[in-house]
Amino acid sequence: MSEEPVLRLDGLTKRFGNRVALSGVTFSVERSEYVGLFGPSGAGKTTLLRAIAGFDVPDAGRIYLAGRDITHKPAHERGIGFVFQNFALFPHLSVMDNVAFGLRNGIKRMPEPEVRSHALEVIELVGLKGLEDRGIGQISGGQKQRVALARTLVIRPRLVLLDEPLGALDANLRLRMRAELRRIREQLQIPFLHVTGNETEALAMGDRLIVLDQGRIGQLGTPEEVYNRPASANVARFLNRYNVFDGVLQNGSFASAYGHFPYGMRVAGQKPAYAIRYDRVIAKEKDAVSHGPVVRANYIASEYLGAAIVHFFQTNDLKVVEVEHHLSNGPPETFAEGCTYDLTWKPDDGIVFG
Amino acid sequence: MALYLAETPGIPPAETVDGSVETRTPRRAVSSYLLIAPAVVWMTLFLVIPMAMIVYVSFWTQTTFKIEPILTLDSWETFFSSGTYVNSLWTTLRIWLIVLTATFVFGYPTALFVGLFVKNKTLQTTLLVLCVIPFWTSFLIRVLAWRPMLGKEGAINILLLKAGIVHQPIEALLFTDLSVVIGMTQIYVVFMVGPIAFMLGRIDPNILEAARDLGANFWQILRKIIFPLSLPGVVVGAMFVSVMVLGEFATSAALSGRKVNLLGNIIVTQVGSLKWALASVVGVILTIIMGLVIAGLLRIVDLKQEL
Repeated sequence: MSEEPVLRLDGLTKRFGNRVALSGVTFSVERSEYVGLFGPSGAGKTTLLRAIAGFDVPDAGRIYLAGRDITHKPAHERGIGFVFQNFALFPHLSVMDNVAFGLRNGIKRMPEPEVRSHALEVIELVGLKGLEDRGIGQISGGQKQRVALARTLVIRPRLVLLDEPLGALDANLRLRMRAELRRIREQLQIPFLHVTGNETEALAMGDRLIVLDQGRIGQLGTPEEVYNRPASANVARFLNRYNVFDGVLQNGSFASAYGHFPYGMRVAGQKPAYAIRYDRVIAKEKDAVSHGPVVRANYIASEYLGAAIVHFFQTNDLKVVEVEHHLSNGPPETFAEGCTYDLTWKPDDGIVFG
Repeated sequence: MALYLAETPGIPPAETVDGSVETRTPRRAVSSYLLIAPAVVWMTLFLVIPMAMIVYVSFWTQTTFKIEPILTLDSWETFFSSGTYVNSLWTTLRIWLIVLTATFVFGYPTALFVGLFVKNKTLQTTLLVLCVIPFWTSFLIRVLAWRPMLGKEGAINILLLKAGIVHQPIEALLFTDLSVVIGMTQIYVVFMVGPIAFMLGRIDPNILEAARDLGANFWQILRKIIFPLSLPGVVVGAMFVSVMVLGEFATSAALSGRKVNLLGNIIVTQVGSLKWALASVVGVILTIIMGLVIAGLLRIVDLKQEL
């Protein structure tokens, strides 16, 4: 239990001119853990990853790898793997030579016969057996992704950083690679820190999730905790699963522009807001709701998602409220375009911030 | 299709609707021949025919004031039996190799700095333009400006004497191979820097970071990643420099005091004394050397694929 975490960040801060990209970021990654790092674009995800890899030097704070301070250690001496979003493969080398690069040029250089067998082993692990003599221009996007991963894994890094590794792949391939990444990580028992701007990917991938919000940690927890109990209105917004309303908190009650909302849970200490999950909202006929929270809104359109359907409503002050209906709960209701409905939910499902 | 129809009244429209797939290929070929025709005519008139002419004239019979189209090997024999001429062939090759090496040695680090270490695009362009500015001054002035620099009482010698580094002025600086090499390197190094900096500028910075992340130090990255990726630039630069140095005559004439005789200088002298046949022989030899050099350089990289 007292073992040092593989990676520990202590108050990491980075500024670009006047803009604060990272502010006091503190967390640790344990041995054999898949950590998702999630946030909207501009939240500082890539900046954080580059600081850990050693490509950028932080303005303040410390980075510890297995207990050793590596804040000012050059990138090539850190032994941390980095998988780039655009793969950044060496275009003039074959698959084999790309994978073997770290073994031939690293600090601990390996004799040539061993290089080949080591590289082949990892090429097989990522499922590229038989392609080792191909050029980089002769393989597909998904295969490039695997080469990038193999090239990093072959040096046995203590930690692997993945910068939006699935961003350049099409949706089908993305799903397959998600499973592959988890399988490979479990086989190697190396911690992965996976940056993503996609909330579905973030919730699906990590054992633990770190949500970045404007350079600060917005929340740190299991995907389930983050999903069910977002720590702030912003986190709820990033998840893209919550309707968030502005308002004020008065005598233990939340007053929004649409009336008073009773709530089941309160997260203290920030700007007041009220969040309710899309799939907890029910649309009823006008004036059919006698008690509980009510938002009156006009029906605009629906979007079919396969297992669910999302209905879009708009209030008089042009706020869009989303209502998600899972089709396993029965066939969807039909709404008339432009007609007014009352949206309501169980008070217990509402979360209040502030 | 409409354009084709409008311009080819001979073909009835009804037929082309069905036959368009078959008729398109030959007609596109005709139009692409038309596109290349001006270039072919130009090159034939002003390159192919003159070159064939030079080869032909090199076998003509030369007397003191006259040249006649009677075929003979006399001029070729004169060239290869004369120590002066054969020596100038070796001098040309020697100076070319030294200048090529010098432009690479000075040009590559410059290009590396401009193309890779300067991140600001505006500054990058400014630096490249600075490299080109000396080229805007007249060739003659640029070459002659080296005389007061390198001469016995020139700027470099004065500085070295004042600093007490030497006690006698160094005479080897001017009117030697060295001065010719210095002069040519200064003029032509920019042709090496440009193409290399261009290739270096195209390298994705993430690739270099990836190499660093895999544990490679700067020298390993330079040798295994940067240099191979910039090789097409080096080859293009080497072609520029080679073609210009091999055909040089002005720099060597101005900076060597006529001690260094390149093939180019021989041509100038022979043409000056109306010895067209021998001048043609040297011209043919020079062209063959250039052809071999270009062919050799092209074997290093497949430029079609790289650029």
